[in-house]
Amino acid sequence: MSTATLTPAGRPDGEPAAPAPKGRQRILPPPVTGQEMVLIVVIALLWLALSLATPAFFTSGSIVPLLVGMTPIALIGIGMTIVIITGGIDVSVGSIVMVCSVIVAQTMVGSGLPLPLAVLLAVAIGGVLGLVNGVLIAYGRVHAIIITFGTLNLFRFIGLQVFDSSTVEGIPRTLNFFGRGEAGRTLGIPHSFVIMLVLAALVWWYLRHTAGGRHFYAIGNDQQAARLAGISVRTRVLMAYVVTGLLAGLASCFVLAQGTSSLAANVGSGLELAVIAAVVIGGTSIIGGRGSVLGTVLGALLVQTVATGVTQLGWRSQLSDLFVGLFILIAVGADLIRQRTRRAS
Amino acid sequence: MSTQTTPGTEPSAASGSTVEPTAGGTESLPAKVLRILLTQRIALLVLLLATVLITMSQLSANNYLSAPYSTSYLAATLINAVPLVMLGLAELLVITSGRGGIDLSVGAIVSLTGMVFGFAYGEWGWSLSTAIVLAVVFGGLCGAVNGALIAYLGFPALITTLATYYGFSSLALVVNDQRPINSQPVQDLYSTASAVSLPFLPEAFPRIPLGVFTFLIPTALVVWLVLARTTYGRRLYAIGTNDVAAEWTGINVARTRFTAYVAAGAISGLVAVVTVAQFASARPDSGVSGNGMALPAITIAVLGGVAITGGIGRVAGVVLAALLIVWLNAGILLAVPGNAGSQFQLFALGVVLIFAALLNGFSNRRYGGTS
Repeated sequence: MSTATLTPAGRPDGEPAAPAPKGRQRILPPPVTGQEMVLIVVIALLWLALSLATPAFFTSGSIVPLLVGMTPIALIGIGMTIVIITGGIDVSVGSIVMVCSVIVAQTMVGSGLPLPLAVLLAVAIGGVLGLVNGVLIAYGRVHAIIITFGTLNLFRFIGLQVFDSSTVEGIPRTLNFFGRGEAGRTLGIPHSFVIMLVLAALVWWYLRHTAGGRHFYAIGNDQQAARLAGISVRTRVLMAYVVTGLLAGLASCFVLAQGTSSLAANVGSGLELAVIAAVVIGGTSIIGGRGSVLGTVLGALLVQTVATGVTQLGWRSQLSDLFVGLFILIAVGADLIRQRTRRAS
Repeated sequence: MSTQTTPGTEPSAASGSTVEPTAGGTESLPAKVLRILLTQRIALLVLLLATVLITMSQLSANNYLSAPYSTSYLAATLINAVPLVMLGLAELLVITSGRGGIDLSVGAIVSLTGMVFGFAYGEWGWSLSTAIVLAVVFGGLCGAVNGALIAYLGFPALITTLATYYGFSSLALVVNDQRPINSQPVQDLYSTASAVSLPFLPEAFPRIPLGVFTFLIPTALVVWLVLARTTYGRRLYAIGTNDVAAEWTGINVARTRFTAYVAAGAISGLVAVVTVAQFASARPDSGVSGNGMALPAITIAVLGGVAITGGIGRVAGVVLAALLIVWLNAGILLAVPGNAGSQFQLFALGVVLIFAALLNGFSNRRYGGTS
């Protein structure tokens, strides 16, 4: 069974392997899967169409907010991808972002926390909340969606308790380093986007090229088999939720940086659905065992492009949700068709 | 979502049911009571409900609460149970149908159908009964979109209903340019949400909101009849338990599952009417604002003993779970006045849900399966 963790050839994930280089047999799926290629083409077409329709689209004043705006969703999406690959789900991420951002915001208002400490604080809180999810799911033996529905309420309660009044006012601009303004860019490239890309690349490599990373796929495909193959299922599942919590903590810094000097109590609400949408559009199977972080990043980019495009075309901004819904259905439909043709062949 | 986080549960549960005596003459009384409480979700809910009612009445008697926790107060809060129970029943149907069945879009269907109902009744001057029929049909159509994708095309339910959640809520906002409909006929509907005193009952009997009789009880009765007394109900449990086995016994699995989603949509359409009446206005975000209506409904269903893996679930469990949450919330509002009260409601909901779920997992391993 140990080969199952190393060779995904038997899984539907494995596109027919490209001719392997001599001397070393490669059984990994190609680095860019079909869904991701389609996404790249769709995004390219959208950008082309938008730049033709509105000349303002391809200016830095429009692209930078787009790239910065997608980072919270993409960042949490990285963790959510791992969680969904193991066959779980985490609907509490919006509440985690809320708790982290309100505590960090209040600490910054109260004590003028410097940037590194603020990030550390946010990530630490996110990690602890992720740990709560992970422990309950890995050791409580309850389906992830039920536990995270519960912690969604619990975390929101904690956040509202910390909020005390309905908003936090006068947040200092400490986090501007991650913002969409001048302070958030080097050579015109937003820092938050680069940080997100680096983290995504790390996780992508880890999931694809290390034994530990393949364990997540094994768990998602067949938990029982994974356990019998000697994988520590509980530790891996726990890890997935902690990583998601950590990333949600970091994402809350980005959310704060993009916001104004006041923070309302509805921060992060509905974020979990946007993140799950990005992950699914990116080709990760909700049943588990299949997916990649690259797809998630592309999915987040697509969602943000649609939102930007709808606004720039002067359409009603609520329409973008309709397109997101359609894209989800198309992505899942395309995935189903590919699976069926693969099974038939 | 068909994969369980803990496949270890399954085999141990299966073996447990053969090893453990199900009804033992050797079992002592406390052990028997414990087993019933752990394996019968309804018994547990009744116990919890009694605990909440007794505790709150005690607090009320000792003047710890800001207002008396009286029967008339409890009856008045039942208006909150109407949408909760009905959507919980919608989730019951859908989750029971199995293969990761779930419906995240019920809140969005409530929003969109509410707007359609608002147009028909408030703007086009339809009569109330035809407008209600329209709402039910329209909700059913929304559910049919979910059902067709999930049952016939094999889309995963969680993702499909997430997509339609986006679609329906977006349409609800766009259809009237984000404005609510509150013309005179819609405002007059508010009277249906008011309390009535029942005929044939003594005057001292608390006044119960009319919506309980016009919407909640009929819906609960119909769902119960369908699930417990018709072949369709048996088929639904069968496909939820094992849809391959159901297929081999000659059940039309796809159509049975499709019908469950259509029914969930139709119930959501009815909830839309209730919500419009309750707010005296058709609001474009009525079902999705805040946490929305779908998450509480799923929570209620799970708390009521509906197995997220399908095939298990009872109407009585959902109704009791909703009563527990509504009356617990009502007590919390009196014990912790103001904004903090609504925050503690979130806390209570989360704790009760996780507690019930962990207990479920435990009793599964200890006794093998709950009913």
